[in-house]
Amino acid sequence: MKLSITHQEKYSRGQLILRTLFGSLYIAIPHLVLLAIVGIWSAIISFLTFWVVLFTGRFPESFFNFQIGFQNWSLRVAASLGNLVDGYPAFFPGVKGDAVKLEVPRPERVSRGLVILRLLFGWLYVGIPHYICLIFREIASGVLGFLAWFAILFAGRYPARWHAFNVGTYRWLTRIGLYLGYFTDEYPRFSGKE
Amino acid sequence: MSTEDTSSSVHLPQPSDITEREKDDAMGAYLMMFASLAIGLPIPLLNLIASVIYFLVNRKTSPFVAFHALQALLSHIPVVLLNAGVAAWIITNVATHAPSWAWFFWYLFFTILINVTYIVWSIVALINANKGRFFYMPVFGRISFARYYGPKAARVPRAPRVWENKPPEGF
Repeated sequence: MKLSITHQEKYSRGQLILRTLFGSLYIAIPHLVLLAIVGIWSAIISFLTFWVVLFTGRFPESFFNFQIGFQNWSLRVAASLGNLVDGYPAFFPGVKGDAVKLEVPRPERVSRGLVILRLLFGWLYVGIPHYICLIFREIASGVLGFLAWFAILFAGRYPARWHAFNVGTYRWLTRIGLYLGYFTDEYPRFSGKE
Repeated sequence: MSTEDTSSSVHLPQPSDITEREKDDAMGAYLMMFASLAIGLPIPLLNLIASVIYFLVNRKTSPFVAFHALQALLSHIPVVLLNAGVAAWIITNVATHAPSWAWFFWYLFFTILINVTYIVWSIVALINANKGRFFYMPVFGRISFARYYGPKAARVPRAPRVWENKPPEGF
């Protein structure tokens, strides 16, 4: 799995102020409403995927592509609202952006045993250990995001290390989602590194 | 075979040989204790499941990861049993209305001591694993090491079963 969010040399102060003042109006509301509607379909697909994978051991390609597209879209919106990228995030799952890229290879086979295991105990052996670590990471990400806001405002730059750290937090969360969603059998690593 | 012979014949990966991914996975084994801490008290035996599953899922990743996962699992077992003992003692006493608390507090004290030791050891092991180092807990370290780096570790892997299509019988 590869998740990259491009670090720009310069960030627009104007866009930062616009996003801060009106971001909820022109980015969050339109996107989140549509994401919620398409999310219903995504949830239905997830339910169907469980049974298909359980009986065949394969993740249907069309389902897979749709879900990855949906994740890409969600990440585009999150990255934009988190000031990690400038520009307006594209709508809908099929669009591929250059700034935010999530690439997940479709597995040939998905372990059916792991499917059951994840359904029954995923919360225990993935959820609890990972989210306890992520609580601290997300606090740190929040602080860095807050400080980065001032860095962009005054210097027009998002410090590269802070950017990498905050992208790492998204990467970590995405890995957990992909594992629990049967996209991969690889246990998510306890890190936000590539 | 003497101990010296064994140690000289074992080729151990050094921290620089171990990938970042392996270091993270090895560290993850000890983080399963959070599952223990989060739900350990209400359901003492359930938390062992996290360590068992983590071991089963990651044991084929690499011997380094498997070693740490097994050590984390084995070190978890006594703690789980002791905690289960506390729960069982309380339930029995309350259910039978015949309190026998005389030794209970000593047992409880002992259990808390073991829990604290387990947490501290796990944190030390976790830090070492994340640096690509081996850390040996008493007893469990030796067992885990023998399992993945000892003489029995070099077993020939089983060939995967290949399905062969055949016509019906008598055709």
